[in-house]
Amino acid sequence: MAAPDEASTLVGRAAAPRLSRVAGPAAVAAAATGVLVLLARVDPSRPGHYPTCPFLFLTGMYCPGCGSLRALHDLTQLDVAGAWGMNPLLVLTLPVVVAAWIGWTVRTARGRPRSLVVPARAINGFLVLVLVFWVARNIPALAPWLAP
Amino acid sequence: MSTPDQPQNPNGDQYPVDPFRKPDETQPPAAPQYGAPQPPSPYGAPQPPQYGAPQYPAPQYGAPQYPAGQYGAPQYGAPQYGGPPPQSYLVWAILVTVFCCLPLGIASIVFASQVNSKFAAGDYAGAAASSQKAKQFAIWGAVAGVVVGIIWGVLVGIGGGMSGSSSSGI
Repeated sequence: MAAPDEASTLVGRAAAPRLSRVAGPAAVAAAATGVLVLLARVDPSRPGHYPTCPFLFLTGMYCPGCGSLRALHDLTQLDVAGAWGMNPLLVLTLPVVVAAWIGWTVRTARGRPRSLVVPARAINGFLVLVLVFWVARNIPALAPWLAP
Repeated sequence: MSTPDQPQNPNGDQYPVDPFRKPDETQPPAAPQYGAPQPPSPYGAPQPPQYGAPQYPAPQYGAPQYPAGQYGAPQYGAPQYGGPPPQSYLVWAILVTVFCCLPLGIASIVFASQVNSKFAAGDYAGAAASSQKAKQFAIWGAVAGVVVGIIWGVLVGIGGGMSGSSSSGI
């Protein structure tokens, strides 16, 4: 009979403090805060502090992520318009990432398993958005709006 | 959240007009398992259909879809219904795509999509396999980003001229 083991496991899980269960989300939040502090203090618009995008370095074309560090720096200065000008894709996806972190934190704090499944159609739509953005920001006519 | 792309009752129209639909060939004949242990379905998954009962469970979000015409055949050996969906690593894929500047994030998004589409279709093994691939591509993308950063740091430390010639692209 595995009843004693199950009972002890359940007791241990129920007795586990909620703080220890959210250690993962807390670590991610700490790391993100560190990155944001670094980006706020060291401006990525000035060359020499951050790596160059390898895709841009090799091909001379922008990738979907080009400008995201500068956009994050602008957001730390509460300059949403500037961030949008650097990388609108980042401005659009950042709330989703933050919402995912909040959902992860709440779910783990309550000790519940993962139950949300993003529809594949939504993920494919995001994929198309990324690919279209990748191409569009390299078109000179659209560069004033989409290129960093 | 609602599921606009999924019919709320895929069998509602089909069952009454096709009462002689043959059971699936691969399934054993209908055998009501009275008192048999039911697969646990704690997360909103539809209950295994009872013998002869119309199947009117509204498909839950991400729950496996039952094919029409299965008259309560218990699927022993099949994956557990209603278990937590496999991790799609979608957030990691997004982060790699937006911050690491590499197509590996694109590949990870593709596999993240496969995870959820296969899970919604009931292909649990395929969803688990896609989950592993999504994880691997996200890890490779993150590692590649870190390696590029280290190489860049070494080059800047040695030469010191590269940083002045090109601004940060990220």
